[in-house]
Amino acid sequence: MDDLDVDLRNETYRQFVALGRAPSAREVAVSRGLAESEVRAGWARLHDGHALVLDPEGEILMLNPFAARPTRFRVETGDRSWFANCGWDAFGIGASLGVDSIIHADCADCAEPLRIPVRAGQPEDLSLVFHVLVPAKSWWQDIGFT
Amino acid sequence: MLLFRSEAHITTWLAGRMGGATISITRLAELANAWWADRLAPSWRPRSRAENQAILDRLGLTDSFWNLG
Repeated sequence: MDDLDVDLRNETYRQFVALGRAPSAREVAVSRGLAESEVRAGWARLHDGHALVLDPEGEILMLNPFAARPTRFRVETGDRSWFANCGWDAFGIGASLGVDSIIHADCADCAEPLRIPVRAGQPEDLSLVFHVLVPAKSWWQDIGFT
Repeated sequence: MLLFRSEAHITTWLAGRMGGATISITRLAELANAWWADRLAPSWRPRSRAENQAILDRLGLTDSFWNLG
């Protein structure tokens, strides 16, 4: 991953946080003075390098820990709201923004809603547990399933 | 990578399937803080697999399940 791709990746993340949604390739291209095709080619390299995840059409699907589409993990930070890709990422949103958060999820078994305030990186409800089904060496074989 | 109310709920959810790894929500928060804290930093650089493994190791996630390969 060269410096230009790191810059493209950082700009994509910056716009995601600023906009509260995934930026389009055109929006990133305009801000960086690039052609849209250059952004898409860079995104593809970043996808291959596991620095972001694209959908089959080449649009942003995940900027981990952020999800570009609604999921069962919603995270409030102040007056803003985000979706996370999984339970791990749900805690990662507050960590990456450096703010307290409230995670809204559900028990994957019984679907009971879970409201988890996180202050200074620590959850208030300590009774919950987290399960990872896929071994670490296989996480990126199907990151959506993982 | 899912959240559950308790280990009993994981057992029910698995319904006889082979499970993976379960950690407390406290450990999950520690993992997330270590893994994601740099994600929006302008100085962000991609971590190597060894650097990622070291994060897992520091949190005691050292058995083969957590081996990044």
